[in-house]
Amino acid sequence: MSEVRKPRDPVTGHVKALAKGFKYLVEPNRMTLDYPAETMKLPPNYRGFFTVDDKKCIGCSMCEMVCPPEAITMVPRIIGEGGKTIPAPEGEKEAKGPKRTKRPVVNWGKCIFCYFCVDVCPVDAFIPTQVHDLAFEKDSEYRPSYEEYLKPPEEPYKNAKKVVSKADLKRGVGYDPAP
Amino acid sequence: MGIIPIPLIIWLIEDLLYLIIFPGLVTILVIVIVIIWLERKIAAKVQMRFGPLWVSKKIGGALQSLADLLRYSFQEVIIPEKADKLAFILAPGLMFAFATIALIFIPVGPYYSVLFPSYYTILFSLALIIITPIFAITVGWASDNKFSFIGALREGFLLISYEVPFLLSVVSMIIIFRTYDYISAVQSQLSFLPGIILNPLAALTMLIVMIRTTGRFPFDITEADSELVLGLYTEYSALFFGVGMATPYVELYNFSLIFSLLFLGGWWPFTLNVMNPIYGLILPGIIVVIKAFIVMAILVFLRAVYPRYRLDQAVRSGWSYVLLLSVLSVILSVGEVVFLR
Amino acid sequence: MNEKVYNIDDLQNINVDGEKYIILQIGPSHPGSGHMRIKVWLDGDIIVKVDPDIGFVHRTSEWLSERREWIKAVPIVERIMLPDTVHANLAYVLTVEKLLGIEPPPRAQYLRSLVAEINRITSHLYGIGIFGIFLGSSTVYMWAFGDREPFIDLMEMLTGARITTSYIIPGGVRWDLPNGFKERAETVLQYMERRLKDYEDIWVKNPVVQARTINVGTLKKEDAIALGVVGPNLRASGVYYDTRKHQPYAAYSNIDFEVPTMKNGDSYDRLLIRVEEIKQSIRMIRQILKDIPEGKIVADQIYNQLNPVMKKNYEEKKRVMFPAFMIHMRPPAGEAAAKVEAGRGEIFFYIKSTGDKYPYRFRWVTPSFRNLPYFTHVAVGHRLADLPTIYGSIDYFPPEADR
Repeated sequence: MSEVRKPRDPVTGHVKALAKGFKYLVEPNRMTLDYPAETMKLPPNYRGFFTVDDKKCIGCSMCEMVCPPEAITMVPRIIGEGGKTIPAPEGEKEAKGPKRTKRPVVNWGKCIFCYFCVDVCPVDAFIPTQVHDLAFEKDSEYRPSYEEYLKPPEEPYKNAKKVVSKADLKRGVGYDPAP
Repeated sequence: MGIIPIPLIIWLIEDLLYLIIFPGLVTILVIVIVIIWLERKIAAKVQMRFGPLWVSKKIGGALQSLADLLRYSFQEVIIPEKADKLAFILAPGLMFAFATIALIFIPVGPYYSVLFPSYYTILFSLALIIITPIFAITVGWASDNKFSFIGALREGFLLISYEVPFLLSVVSMIIIFRTYDYISAVQSQLSFLPGIILNPLAALTMLIVMIRTTGRFPFDITEADSELVLGLYTEYSALFFGVGMATPYVELYNFSLIFSLLFLGGWWPFTLNVMNPIYGLILPGIIVVIKAFIVMAILVFLRAVYPRYRLDQAVRSGWSYVLLLSVLSVILSVGEVVFLR
Repeated sequence: MNEKVYNIDDLQNINVDGEKYIILQIGPSHPGSGHMRIKVWLDGDIIVKVDPDIGFVHRTSEWLSERREWIKAVPIVERIMLPDTVHANLAYVLTVEKLLGIEPPPRAQYLRSLVAEINRITSHLYGIGIFGIFLGSSTVYMWAFGDREPFIDLMEMLTGARITTSYIIPGGVRWDLPNGFKERAETVLQYMERRLKDYEDIWVKNPVVQARTINVGTLKKEDAIALGVVGPNLRASGVYYDTRKHQPYAAYSNIDFEVPTMKNGDSYDRLLIRVEEIKQSIRMIRQILKDIPEGKIVADQIYNQLNPVMKKNYEEKKRVMFPAFMIHMRPPAGEAAAKVEAGRGEIFFYIKSTGDKYPYRFRWVTPSFRNLPYFTHVAVGHRLADLPTIYGSIDYFPPEADR
């Protein structure tokens, strides 16, 4: 590897460094995304915020068991009409009795988006999205109630230009308008 | 009253405008704000990103520096308990003041201030410019912080090792032009050749010294953040910090003006020599300031290319290559004067 | 290097006020320290003694993992080594697989090597970038972090996350190669090859960089072995050792690659070796994408436990879901150890199982921790300005060392 190490003589070195800097100064080569004026459409397996399909879920608690940061809690629910669940009476901790079941709620303050819960679900009841840039104003918003959790997460910056990233030979990451 | 003659009043007003509007304080403020923005934009362009943008998106974020200045103005002033308070407060201001006052003796046109008429403008401006680093050392001393102290020591080392080449490079131009006055220096360039062609060695020395004195890369040694946090200004906050950080840019402005006067032919190609504020000051002044701005832009571009040298390397090169270069430039000047004229 | 020899025993007599030496506390909140404190004794500008004080970001990863189900340790070990997530994940999973006696299928092995090499490139770029900002070059910092982006996008495309991928699970991997991955990877690799030339001009062969790094922080071959240095830093000192070559794991035994070594062991060599390893990784990724065999991406033991919904998902989306086994995994009693060559060096894992649902003893050594003796050994006699050079060139990552 001695040929790699061979130092360059200072004059050539300075000239080459300055020339390279100047080349980058005049050539269009921007790699960054003008977020939030443009936002990215992410690949379909991107692990963003997710919600649960109330009808599909069977309340088996596997997601709660596998969750590494213990962000998922199971809330007691009662199966109502059409397979939808309604809240259990106040003070009922355990899901015992007729038509009782449980549903998961994610504490977003703890969630690390590893998607172990999504993958462990035996009925594939979780609905993943690619929304990843939500901000919460209040502490309570981190811990949604089950009804709040069921709402699909809304993307911020709805007016932003949607782009998809692509590999670009010239600038590494290029952006095409999203289809 | 009739006691003060009217021409004197006009001269006074003109001098005041000279100091405050052009090329004085207001111009300095605008230039500093623009050059800081430009520095960040140039670095961003080389680094494949946007740079300051969202503060004023339509004009490319040009108001970012102004926003930063406002932010500094309203920050809390924190003075460390053990600091030498008087020096701590005064030093940045004095540093800025002396850097600005040096401008009095740097004419930007043949129609020069009558308040300080002098045939020794080069010497006076150099004297004032050389004073400013002393306050930088005071800043480092007053903070009572080891990092600031080391920064001040480094400033001192570099100051001494680069002062001699700087003075020698100017001396070699004085020898060529046979004058101590910028205006006559420019006039003799207008009638012959610009200084950079007459003595390129002196121009090169001057450029290196400019980079060093104003802390541009690769000589950003006193503020090396990975070693000294922020060097001299570690303990500073609020407007003191803002003033301290702006001073190198004011010095850069001064140096670039001197460079364009001594080496780039001053207000060439504007060769009219009239004692009139418009043709004698404003138009040539704009030319000189634009030339200086280009020099500044080239120097701030270096940030995007270089890391920094080590202190001992910088001092060693100051006492060897750069000193040698400056001595050679003096010899060249003497040779030119002896053989060509 | 300063010629003066300091007797370390004399240092006991240093006045606490620093009358004899200046004592600098670099860190823990200092732009050049990272999450640690470096206590430096200075004689003028010369470093007399360096005392790295670590542990500021100790996150009890071993304790946490011993009180959780086996699968839950995957995100934990990843979060310790953020620039090297895949390697930490892989090392842990290899250990667990040894306990379980599962052998992943060849395609999964290749995919593991693929993400590991992509991750190695990002890790080295991270190191080069941090080295750049330590020497004051914001351009290299921005470039290196920008150039991680295409590779991170590749990881995102494959694994669904940018950094903390949690991609490797006992028995295989979680996702198969998506459509268009190979083409995109080839473009990215060509881009990186072109960029390495630009790096050479503006950084590697920049005269200022050479002045700052050549003969700074030299570690001789014998000292490197005695200190137990690992990874690129060891190879920069001239020791031919790479876990990928000497104890191959994943698909490395089928991949043709070189282990670059240098001779001098100074900061410049440590910079060069990272550039050379990026080149080797590019070569490896090309080979993997060409040679990758068809087949399952998860071992049969896992696949057979998938329920019909999961099997349908596997066939349609090439996505491996977790059978209940993943939660209730109880590896048989015994011990296992595994080694993985991460970007910064060798990760060593040792786990003891008693057949319980938690690991009985969870022990791992991260490469940064093993590279730590560098400071005390190498920095003495250099100038203060050389400390960031040495720190940056060994690519030390405090959260990784503190675990």
